Amino acid sequence: MFNIYQTQSAKIISVDFESVDTKLLRLKFLDRTRQREFDFLPGQFVQIGLPGWGECPISLASSSTQAKNYFELAIRGVGKLTNRLLELEKGDLVEVRGPYGNGFDVDLFKDKPLLLIGGGCGFVPLRPLINDYLAGQMSNTVLQIFYGCQNEENLLFKKEYHLWNRRAELNVILEKPSSKWAGQKGLITDLLKNWKITADSVAVIVGPPVMYRFVISELKKKKVQEENIYLSLERRMYCGLGVCQHCAIGPYYVCQDGPVFRWADIKGIGGVI
Amino acid sequence: MNDQQLIKLLNKLAESYFLLAPQKLDDNLLPGYEYGIREVKNLEEIDWSGAMPYGSWKEVLLPYHERLFDIQKGRLVETKTKYPPIACLAMNILDLKALTLFEQVFANDLYYQKRRRPMLIVGYSTGLPSDYKKYKVFSHNYEENVLEHVIFDIFVSRQKNGRLKFYSGSEKGQLTLDQAGLTDYNNIEFAGPVAESGPDKTLLSIMAKMEKSANKKIWDELDKRCLACGKCVIACPTCFCFDLEDRDNSAEQSRSRRWGVCFYNDFSLVADGRKELDTVKKKIFFWYYHKLVRIPKQYSLPGCVGCGRCIKACPVGININETIKAL
Ligand SMILES: Cc1cc2nc3c(=O)[nH]c(=O)nc-3n(C[C@H](O)[C@H](O)[C@H](O)COP(=O)(O)OP(=O)(O)OC[C@H]3O[C@@H](n4cnc5c(N)ncnc54)[C@H](O)[C@@H]3O)c2cc1C
Ligand code: SF4
Ligand code: SF4
Ligand code: FES
Repeated sequence: MFNIYQTQSAKIISVDFESVDTKLLRLKFLDRTRQREFDFLPGQFVQIGLPGWGECPISLASSSTQAKNYFELAIRGVGKLTNRLLELEKGDLVEVRGPYGNGFDVDLFKDKPLLLIGGGCGFVPLRPLINDYLAGQMSNTVLQIFYGCQNEENLLFKKEYHLWNRRAELNVILEKPSSKWAGQKGLITDLLKNWKITADSVAVIVGPPVMYRFVISELKKKKVQEENIYLSLERRMYCGLGVCQHCAIGPYYVCQDGPVFRWADIKGIGGVI
Repeated sequence: MNDQQLIKLLNKLAESYFLLAPQKLDDNLLPGYEYGIREVKNLEEIDWSGAMPYGSWKEVLLPYHERLFDIQKGRLVETKTKYPPIACLAMNILDLKALTLFEQVFANDLYYQKRRRPMLIVGYSTGLPSDYKKYKVFSHNYEENVLEHVIFDIFVSRQKNGRLKFYSGSEKGQLTLDQAGLTDYNNIEFAGPVAESGPDKTLLSIMAKMEKSANKKIWDELDKRCLACGKCVIACPTCFCFDLEDRDNSAEQSRSRRWGVCFYNDFSLVADGRKELDTVKKKIFFWYYHKLVRIPKQYSLPGCVGCGRCIKACPVGININETIKAL
């Protein structure tokens, strides 16, 4: 019988500094068949761990079109395991199981203007959507990206902005930028307030919970439908399989029914954001 | 009395199984705590009164701490555990219902399945226990089709006339009864955990009430009374939340699973210090919501089998029956 907790070893094939506290690891399963058969949707995550250090959920950060060759994870050091993962180097091994979660159902976004709204390090799961869009995998008419962050040091994926800007509109706003910053200053909601957003847009929001409340109310002012607002939630997780109960919200499991939810489906559950 | 047949069966089982059964522990224990599940050293020790043992079979089915992997040279290697053949004797109907739920929850769990394979489940009922009403949360109609929807290998039922009736519920059960020389038994075909007519009506109505109950004052009352001690979780035969835990020191190198308690602060804690469950009110709501909504939705089965163990365990007398009434 298949052991649902069995991990597989993946080798770090490159490590990149993304921001002061975040690194981008590119990984490849040691078992070639496993890698060749690996497939995921934007918004899904894996459980990554080190024996003796535990496991934690991390969003897949690379394009699903590359899944047969490698996958990338952007990891921020915040605790015991994540800090240890950031000490690893090219060639080191980690243990991975997954992918888990529902991911974004991009068919629901079809042919509509798509807004990606990310805050801080929560931005990670949006990158596969952007990459898939750039790779011609999605049929959205317009892609607008709104990214709010503390300062320049915390911005993720800086090296790719010029690529994103070719086919999408990227708007960055910083809360406490350095004096050199020529872009916009303030909160992500300031950015949205002054932007023309059409009511038929689909919005995807990821970031810290405080951000959700303000962004959703801003979108509702712009007449974006609650059925068209998606968000990705973060909860404590162990099994990733809808059993251990740690990630439960109301009748749902964030690990299985989420992490991506439609706002209309979860707004009635107390304390979700 | 045909108890001779039961003794024949037990003697046969003793040849190849470790026997576990409810036993009377000590007359001096507080009411409700007198019976526990222990290894049977002597067949006389088994309690056939039908009293609810305080400890539950959960400890046997899902040990408090269970090693999943050994860590060898920095890699995870599946722990090879030798799972003993255990005969679980005199499991009452409510505990069989809890077992039936576990079979669904852990259907894909290698460790649970490996532990269960060499086990033999012997259910037992005394008919309706005299204090049965006390345990009643959901409607249980013993006579009607209950045995078709619970998991067991052998079931022994004491009839009104005092005689025992034997049933088999699996091939393994049949084989065992045959080997023990018992011929007078009926076979019950397992018809799935849920009745053909669909989930229990009471279950569905309680679920609907619980779903709409967030603003009820019962939660404010429980917020003040509940100590968040988690004793109810430990006592409950259907509570199965767990944590995974790594140890890597000179004494222990493993990844293991251990019971989780949703009342404890770290249950929902995430790295930046936020907790989904940050008040006692949210914790106890979460606990009931799992039993009365999430489990019924996921498995079409009750998350509470009405055994009353949590009521006995609670130091401040919180009673699930009263809570359900207040929804
Ligand atoms: C669906 C999902 C996607 C995520 N994607 C990313 C990502 O792409 N990049 C990133 O840097 N972080 C991501 N996180 C957060 C990341 O999982 C936590 O930062 C990480 O678990 C912290 O573990 P730690 O051992 O370093 O921290 P510690 O605080 O030392 O954690 C101790 C234990 O707490 C638990 N825990 C703590 N925080 C979390 C948490 N937020 N979620 C689940 N379990 C937790 C873990 O089980 C861990 O073993 C994601 C979380 C979720 C739920
Ligand atoms: S009565 Fe209490 S202990 Fe028994 S199954 Fe229900 S919740 Fe669990
Ligand atoms: S045993 Fe009683 S006091 Fe303790 S957590 Fe359960 S309900 Fe609360
Ligand atoms: S992580 Fe275990 S139920 Fe979601």
